[in-house]
Parts: sequence; structure tokens; C-alpha cells
Amino acid sequence: MRALERVEARGIVKTYPGVVALDGANVAVEGGSILGLLGKNGAGKSTLIKLLAGVIAPDAGELLLDGAPIELHDPHAATAHGFAFVHQELADVPNLTVAENVGLGLGYPTRGGLVRRRALRAQAAAVLARLEAEIDPETPLARLSIAQRRLVMIAHGLAADARLFVLDEPTASLTDDEIAHLHRVLRTLRADGVAIVYVSHRLDEVFAVTDRVTVMRDGRDVFHGATADVDKPRLIEQITGTRGAVEARPRRVAPAGGEELLRVERLTLPGIVEGADLRLHAGEVLGIAGLVGAGRSELVRLICGADRAASGRIVVRGSERRIRSPRDGMEAGIVLLPEDRKTQGAVLGFSVRKNITLPAMERFRLAKPLPLPSQRRERAAAGDLVTRLRIKVADVEQPALHLSGGNQQKVVLAKWLDSDADVFVFDEPTHGIDVEGKEEVYDLMAELADQGRGVIFISSEFTELVSSCNRVVVMRDGRLVEEFEGEAISDAALVASCYSH
Amino acid sequence: MSEHLTASAQSAAVDGSVQTGGTGGQPDPAPAGRATAASSPVRDAAAAFAARYGLLVAFLATVVVFSAVRSSTFPTWRNAESILTLAAPSLIIAVGLTVVLVMQDFDLSFGGMIGLAGGAATAFMVNHGWAWQLAVVVVIGLGVLVGVLNGFMVAYLGGNSFIITLAMGTVLAGVEFGLTDQATVYDGIPAGYVQIASGELLGLSNQIWIAAVLAIVVWVLLERSEIGRFMYAIGGNPEAARLSGVRVLRLRLLGFVVVGVAAAVVGILLTSQSASYAPNGGTAYLLPAFAAVFLGAAVFRPGEFNVLGTIVGVLFLGVIQTGLTMLDLETWVINLVQGGILITAVLVSRMGMARR
Repeated sequence: MRALERVEARGIVKTYPGVVALDGANVAVEGGSILGLLGKNGAGKSTLIKLLAGVIAPDAGELLLDGAPIELHDPHAATAHGFAFVHQELADVPNLTVAENVGLGLGYPTRGGLVRRRALRAQAAAVLARLEAEIDPETPLARLSIAQRRLVMIAHGLAADARLFVLDEPTASLTDDEIAHLHRVLRTLRADGVAIVYVSHRLDEVFAVTDRVTVMRDGRDVFHGATADVDKPRLIEQITGTRGAVEARPRRVAPAGGEELLRVERLTLPGIVEGADLRLHAGEVLGIAGLVGAGRSELVRLICGADRAASGRIVVRGSERRIRSPRDGMEAGIVLLPEDRKTQGAVLGFSVRKNITLPAMERFRLAKPLPLPSQRRERAAAGDLVTRLRIKVADVEQPALHLSGGNQQKVVLAKWLDSDADVFVFDEPTHGIDVEGKEEVYDLMAELADQGRGVIFISSEFTELVSSCNRVVVMRDGRLVEEFEGEAISDAALVASCYSH
Repeated sequence: MSEHLTASAQSAAVDGSVQTGGTGGQPDPAPAGRATAASSPVRDAAAAFAARYGLLVAFLATVVVFSAVRSSTFPTWRNAESILTLAAPSLIIAVGLTVVLVMQDFDLSFGGMIGLAGGAATAFMVNHGWAWQLAVVVVIGLGVLVGVLNGFMVAYLGGNSFIITLAMGTVLAGVEFGLTDQATVYDGIPAGYVQIASGELLGLSNQIWIAAVLAIVVWVLLERSEIGRFMYAIGGNPEAARLSGVRVLRLRLLGFVVVGVAAAVVGILLTSQSASYAPNGGTAYLLPAFAAVFLGAAVFRPGEFNVLGTIVGVLFLGVIQTGLTMLDLETWVINLVQGGILITAVLVSRMGMARR
């Protein structure tokens, strides 16, 4: 396939119920160049990539390949145009060999209907050699490191004769040497005329390897320029948005010496969370900032007992607790609103009522000693929460399955709201919720804190940490590295802290 | 006959539409709004009805047909009692099986457990001279033990329930044969033991009473208790249940214990009823029990295992079995008709559900 000159997305709009993911975005990349695509989580980068991959269709706007409009109805069409993708979560087949993965979906060489293993092997060896990757094509993929598996994905693209590569956070969990190797490979591809989109949160890498940068914010492209013409502060300013500093919400005032509710000492899960120390006081909303993969969710999962720590102490109201299961966590007074509502938060086949009452069934008994729930009491409590959280359902007996994402999230919130826990951990609670819903979640957290509970709030949208938290700790590579309090909490400070490496 | 059925289906369709449009009551498994474009409200309601009650209609239709064809023998109290008595052991094991299936686990070891229970009870009483009461208690304890072992290996050690319980079934058969030398026993079974199954209370076989009590206990457990809610939550989303504080591993283990105890009871009833022991008597219950529970998942709450559905499933199978036998058909015809009725019943319910 001959090299392409230019791929362009023009005026792309994509909305999901309650959320505008892309709001007239323009992005272009040319053959023989590397474009750095930057932006905070939720800025619209992933949506744009899905669009190029043919996974979703835009509501408005067009894709141009060398000036001619193209339509990508499915992933196959994207492949046919020579677009290749290396996703953050590897989309390969671990139980097949390297050679089988490289040739996957491209039509294995066959004779009489049987795969010619030698030809397959040679094909893989040839592209791996171009990548200077010393990987035996016969190795099962599962035995390779993450870095090697990313190279295999690139090899797959090369074998497919791709002319546009999109790499989404390709250096996550890679060592410096592996990153350097990857960058060498990208420069080789660029010399061959391939167009490359490089999505990354790591600005140092963007400066090291890209030719141009595009910054996205709130679904729009807000900055285009040659990498050589910008510096790091300028990019950070573009990523956060200068107007982001204006907040309608009054900041939370730090309470005067509330009781210490939670103390975490040297909590460790090797390779993921390293020696985390944390304190949380009554009346406090404590934010945890960090980039995707920094270990924030993993840390709070250890605190709540969703996973077990290898070492470290958890002290609740002055006494050390052994927390080895979510139930232990609940009994210690710590509850978790997990990150992924579909897989961890809700039982989708259950009605709204049954979801809401699940963690506190004993409160709805017909009579105290009998473990038989009273549906009337359940319905009353669930109905009350549905009203308070303004969950849009006709009836609490409606299954959670058909609710919108935002409403499902509210159902998960409702599960814990009446709990008498001391510590509430909210992991990305506003993810996928519209603006109005977000405000309600902020109000809820403030309300809980004002009642003398402690709240831990994880978010990738730093502006909401700024407006909601008394204190914010920053997590990087599994460690808590910096702490901001009161007026010192600002979007720019948090972004700078997350990116400093 | 066919006219009558059509009429009842239509009036039922009206009921169905009322329920679909209403706000109270049970969650509606087939919202009309999500049906295909070509469908009309009446057809949607009919589909929803077919999904929920299709199997029940098929069951009643079967009863009507058999009653019409064998009017002097089939629709009699005697025959009803005989069908219920025959179905009692199946009901006990199928109801127990429902509990593990609700949590998405399989138990294939109960065939072996039924055999072991009968074999062990016989060996204890006949070879070792135990009192029958002691034998019964120990055998039920054995059922608990086997359930705990299954549950521990599956829930706590993470073994695949299909394979673990299949292997356990083989192990249990081995233990049974070791205890009994695979010898059939006709003599020496105490009269008190025989009375357990063959005795009567208020004119009904004890087996019917035992099955009814156990079915009610499991129904209350699954449908009305916190534990049941937790079990359905585990079946729906084990991680969400765990994060909500549900003791997932413990409840999954409990499920296997329920099946173990049910199998032990069935093993005792079978040997008690026949006043004899024949080796490997449990395997025959494996397939019908699964068939009944899966049939049951096609009625009342389509797609979900439920105790009432299981009861209908067991009775349906029992009626077909007895009815076909009364028709004096050849064995191969019975097999064809039995299988055909089952497949049709399940598919009719599925077709209703597929419209979701």
C-alpha cells in the first residue's frame, strides 16, 4: 500500500446520552510525521481514536484520507485503509504464538487449507527484524513482557502494511530502555513515510519523539503547533485551559482539627502501590490525583479490602484493623464506590430496589432476628434515595440494566448513602455523568464530610478535585509523592505534579 | 380443543398487556418498548406471556391431553398421588440443584452422592447393625461433608465446578462400591427405615410431605430470605456482590452443602421405598434433575433459575413420564415424544424471551 499524505478529522461531533465527547474536533496527521495528541482524561482523545478505528460513527463531521472523504463503518474498513492501532489495553491473543498474532486476521499463508507454519514464521521474523525486536516468533505471547507485546502489535500493523499507526499511551508500564527502543522504532517508521499519532500524558516523551502536537480539551482541538515551537509550561496551560481556574463552587474550608478517622501506614502491594501513608480526618474531603495507571484505584481497593495488601497497617479511629475483604472494610466503617459500575458496582439484572438495599439488607428485616427482608421497607428506602439523588426511573422495580450510565452510577451511590460508615471512598464517581449530576455528587460528598465523616475522592478531572477537596495527594508510579492543602490546590499545580517525572 | 387453547391464550394476552403497562408488581422482563419494529402491542404482550407462562400452558395442555385420551385412569386422585410420589425424589434433588445454579455453579456429584447415601445407610444398618436413626443422621452428615468438600474446592480453591463435581461423583461412586462390594441387598433393612418413605401421613406418602417441606424451605431461602437475595446477587455479578459485603465464598459453599444434603435425603428415600439397595442408583437422576431446573428457568421469571419454576419442571417431566407409559407406547416412541415435548416447551419460552 503506498504511503498516505494526510489523514484528517474535520469538525467531528460525537455525543453520548448526557455527555458531549467530541464537540467539533479537528485533527490532522501527515505521512512521514509523528503527531502528539494531548489532553486530560475525558478531553475526547479516546473517542477520536475509536472513530478512526471504525468502532463508533460520528454524529457530524467527516474523515478525509488524502483529501477524499472516507467512511469507516466497522474496524475492518479501518484496517483496509491501512490504519493500525496499538491500544493501551493490549488487544492481542495471549495463548497464540508471536507469529500467529502478527499474522492474525491477515490470512495466514496456507497450502491445501493447512497453515504453512514456516512461511508464517518467516513473515513474522521479517517484520520483527524491521523493529529490531529480538523475539522468537514461536514464543507464546503470554510469555512476553508488556513492551514486547506492544512491539508485536506494531509488527502486526507492519505485516498488514499499515500507513497510519495510532498508539494510545504506548509507554505505560515500560522501562526507560524500552521507551527508547519504541521511539527508535517510531522514527524508523516515520522515515518510511508512515503517519503516526502518539497519544501520551508524558510530556517529556512528546517532546522527544513528536514533530507536531495537537491539544484537546472538552471535546475540541484547542492548540496545534510544531513541537519545536512550544515549551512545557505552554502545553500544560493548553491542557488545563486557562479559564479552568474560574470556579463557581466555593472551595471547601479546612475543618479545624477533626478527629483522625483513618490512618494508612506503608501500605504496599509490590509493583503497584509502594509504601503509601495517608491520613483522613473527620469533616475532610481528601482528593487523590494522578494519571491513569498511577495506582490510585489500586490503593483505595487495598484500603477497602477489595484487594489484599502485602504489608502495611490500616488504623481506623485509633485502632488497627485487619481488612482482608470488602466485608471487613465495611465492618471497620470503610465503604468503596468502585470505579467501574458495570463490572463492580451494580448487579444489572437486579431491580433498582434490590441494588440499593444489597449492602444493608439487615436494615430492612420484617423483624430484627429474622433474616427475611420486608419488600415494603426496601421499597420505601429505595424510593426515598431515588428521590434524593434524582435517579430517573419510573419505578424502583425497574431493572438497573436499562438505565443510562449516569443513572446506574447514581444507583451505585445510593447503595452506600445511608450507611453509617466513617470513611467513604469515591473512585471516579462522576465518570460519565452529566454536569448537573456531577454537581449533585459534589454536594453529596460535602454533605457527608459536614456530617463528620471522611471522604476520599479519586478523579482524573483535576478541576473537580480543586473545587471539592480540603486536601489533595498526588500519586505517581504507585507512590504518594506530593500533598497540597487549601489555597495551594490548583489545577496547574496538580497537573505539573502528575507530569513531573 | 385447539379453539379452547386459542381463546385462553388471547385472554391471557390481555392480562399480559395490563401487566406490561402497569407500574406496580414484579419487574417486567420484556419491556414492550424494546420489541422489534414490526411488532404490535398485542403481539408483544403475547410474547411476554409466552415467555413467562408458556411452559405452564404446555404443562396444563399435556395434562388435558392425557386426561382426554386416558379419561378413566389418568385424571384420578390415585394417579395424581402416584405421579407426586414418583416425582418427590426428583423434586428434592432438583430444588437443591436450583440453589447452586442460581450462583452459576454446577454440581454433577449428586448422582454419586445419592448412590453413596443409599449404600452407606444399608451397609451401616445391615452389615454393622446400626440403629436406622443413627444411620440416617450419619448419612445426612455425609451429605454435608461432601457439600463442604465440593464447595471448598470450587469456591475457596477456585476449581472449575463442572470438573470438580464430576470427579467427586466418581470418587463417591468408588466409596459406595467399597462400602457395599457392589452387592444388591434385599434383606435385613429395618422396618423403621422402610417406613420413612413408604409410610403415609393424612393419606399422602411421606415422600410427598418430605419433598414439599424441603421445597418450601428452599423457596423461603431463595425467594424470601437475605441469603437468597445474596445468592441471586452472586449469580448476577459476583464482584459487585463481594464489594457490597456479601460473603460470596461462604454462600457458594453453602449451595453445595444444600445439594449434598438433598442428595443424601434422596438416597435414603430410594432405599427406604424399595426396602432394598442396588448399586449406583443415583446416576439416573442426573439428567432429569438438570432438565427440570432448566425447564423451570423458562417459566415465571424467564432466564432465571427459580424454585417455583423448578417445581413445574419436575411435575411436567413426571406427568409426561406417567402419561406416556399409560398410553402403552413402545419405548422408542416414549423417548421421541418425551424429548420432543421438552424441546418444544423450552423453545416456545425462548422465542418469547428473544424478543427482548
